[in-house]
Amino acid sequence: MSSLNASLAAALSGLTADRGALEATTNNVANVNTPGYSREVPVLVASDPIVVDPLTLGTGVTLQSIESVRDPILESQIQQETQTQGQNDAQVSALQQAQVNFTNNTGDIGTAISNFFDSINQLSASPADLSVRQGVLTAADNLATSFNQVANNLSAQRGNLGLSVVQTVGQINQLTQQIAQLNSQISSLENVGQSGGTFVDQRTQLIDQLSSLVDVSVIKSDNSLTLTTASGTALVAGQQSFQLQTQLNSSGMQEVFAQGKDITSTIVSGQLGGLLAARDQHLPALQTQLDTLAAGIANAVNAVQTGGYDLNGNPTGSTDSKGNPQTPVYLFNPPPATGAAASLSVAITDPSLIAASSDGTAGSNGNAEAMYALSSQAIVAGQSPTDYYSGIVANVGNLTSNATAQQSASNLVLQQLNDQRASISGVSLDQEAANLMRYQQSYAASAQIVSAINTMMQTVINMKVS
Amino acid sequence: MRVNPNPLADLLATLGQNQQQINTDLQEIASGLRVNAPSDDPAAAAMLVQNADQTSEADQYLRSIGSVQAELQNADSTLSSVTTTLQRAISLGTEGANGTLNSADRQAIAVEVQGIQTQLLSLANLSYQGSFVFAGTATQTAPYVLDATSPSGVRYVGNSNVNQLTLGNHFSVQTNLPGSQLFSSPGNDVFQAIQDLITNLQSGTNIPTALSEVSNAYNHINAQRVYYGNAINQLNSQQTYLNSDTTQLAQQQNTLGGADLPSVIGNLENEQVSRQAALEAMSNTLQTNLFNYLK
Repeated sequence: MSSLNASLAAALSGLTADRGALEATTNNVANVNTPGYSREVPVLVASDPIVVDPLTLGTGVTLQSIESVRDPILESQIQQETQTQGQNDAQVSALQQAQVNFTNNTGDIGTAISNFFDSINQLSASPADLSVRQGVLTAADNLATSFNQVANNLSAQRGNLGLSVVQTVGQINQLTQQIAQLNSQISSLENVGQSGGTFVDQRTQLIDQLSSLVDVSVIKSDNSLTLTTASGTALVAGQQSFQLQTQLNSSGMQEVFAQGKDITSTIVSGQLGGLLAARDQHLPALQTQLDTLAAGIANAVNAVQTGGYDLNGNPTGSTDSKGNPQTPVYLFNPPPATGAAASLSVAITDPSLIAASSDGTAGSNGNAEAMYALSSQAIVAGQSPTDYYSGIVANVGNLTSNATAQQSASNLVLQQLNDQRASISGVSLDQEAANLMRYQQSYAASAQIVSAINTMMQTVINMKVS
Repeated sequence: MRVNPNPLADLLATLGQNQQQINTDLQEIASGLRVNAPSDDPAAAAMLVQNADQTSEADQYLRSIGSVQAELQNADSTLSSVTTTLQRAISLGTEGANGTLNSADRQAIAVEVQGIQTQLLSLANLSYQGSFVFAGTATQTAPYVLDATSPSGVRYVGNSNVNQLTLGNHFSVQTNLPGSQLFSSPGNDVFQAIQDLITNLQSGTNIPTALSEVSNAYNHINAQRVYYGNAINQLNSQQTYLNSDTTQLAQQQNTLGGADLPSVIGNLENEQVSRQAALEAMSNTLQTNLFNYLK
């Protein structure tokens, strides 16, 4: 048999549930602008009915929980794409900085090469003219300086990328520590059967941030979460985080260590992966190409220079006019095996020492002609100097424009994924307004019922026993 | 289906792209260049490097032509003086060969021819900007010195080497003729012929033989002058070619890297219009939601 008290309890459960649901709405509206916030929905279920023979009577409503609405698969896709984006961002900014060195202007290496060979052609036209000879030395000096500058810029840039690696590792450590703390808070909530709620949102937000820095794999178990790098280095295991370290290697580069192991080469994604790729692959490749070019020019010019005679008729090769051995008179100091571009320098200051003559007379230009001919000969890895240099320019341009294209593509993908996430988890003010209306109305209705039951109670109480 | 309730981030990203494009356009307009960095168009950037090199090379060839042109012209006009001088020697010799002249007259003519010899010596020792033009490559010393022990009265101390100068792709010219080929060519030796004419005028014998030697030398010099004429013509036509080449290179440079201003400005206007529209739409639509209507 039903009772008024049972009805009162059912009506009160409605009031409680509506108030709880309203709290979810309030919280949603309050967090409409919170990044990474997933909207909450109240989970309302009908309370267990009681069976009072022969009737089964409902007992009202229970607010079972307030759940956050999120799609874990979408979130892991976002994390992955964020890694790509972080990597692309780091690479694009490094390459854009590097390509400035190869932008066509009056002081670039290409112009310096042209000017140098032009000065040799002028020498060939006036082999005995001292001012023309001085012009050759000046042009050679400018060529060496432009190589030095670009090589130094690239090494300085690599050093700066190393500093960014250190900073990034610091940020990673901070994030993994925060994530480990959140893990502990979430698991203590979930252990008592409660939803992690906004803690999970915060953790997701932090994992997104971490993803933009390094390649992260997320492994979820019942109520704990493990983060590793793509190659398996542990970053967070449940409530414990593992710090990465940086350490200078023998060539002065910052390397990344995890638990004493060098993991630098295994990091391929995220900002850290991008920084390392720029520092350890793209920029060194450019440096090597520059070195090849500088060494190719210097060696070829020296070979011709040491096969002729200076303005005074002295041979410039390894034997003097009397056939005795002598130190050859080089135009460029012979370049070292590595770092030719950074160390390229002119060996002589006396313009009369340039070997323009091929027969020992001051008026001969035979050797200058041979030196000028180098400008169109395959003296640098099977190419002429200008062809090889234009190859470097095309190379750095392609690297940069490809990275930029990948960056825009990944931005678009990420934007779309975020859009999808927002369509699932984002707070809609329209919807919240409608919910507010709904809960308000049902609250009012429940209250009305309470007051009706109250009236009925009064009626019962005021019944006179006759 | 639920849609993204907060599209502001997306819209801002789109606006950002729009702004980026506007910035690029403005840079192109300001610099007048489409290729401001290698990544703008890597292939064009590489070709621009080649173009800059070729332009600078062409400019240098023009400068080098300028330096040798004057020297060649100078040599040519000097040789012209040599032929005039030799003509004068021939007419003096012809006069001396006239049987009616007495010894004193012939001696007087011989003195005049000696004057010609001195003149020829000075012409053969032509120096241009500190270099002796007819000395082969031994340009720092005068190629002809007086030498009484030599049958021709002079000695050639230059060499027989020549210089080639590159003045274009696969184009080079020989920039000098050595005295050994011009004045001291065996069989056509100018100084030997003049010396013989002087000796024979003085002795009054075999003057016609000496005359024919001088006339051979005259013909030889005239024939050699053709080389200078050719070289000067070649330089002139190479100069014309290089000038038009420079113009073409400049055009190519503009095609490769220059901004197409009308289309850039057109793009810029379009982007500004769409930016304006996006901003207005955003400010109008994002203000309202259901809360505005709940009373």
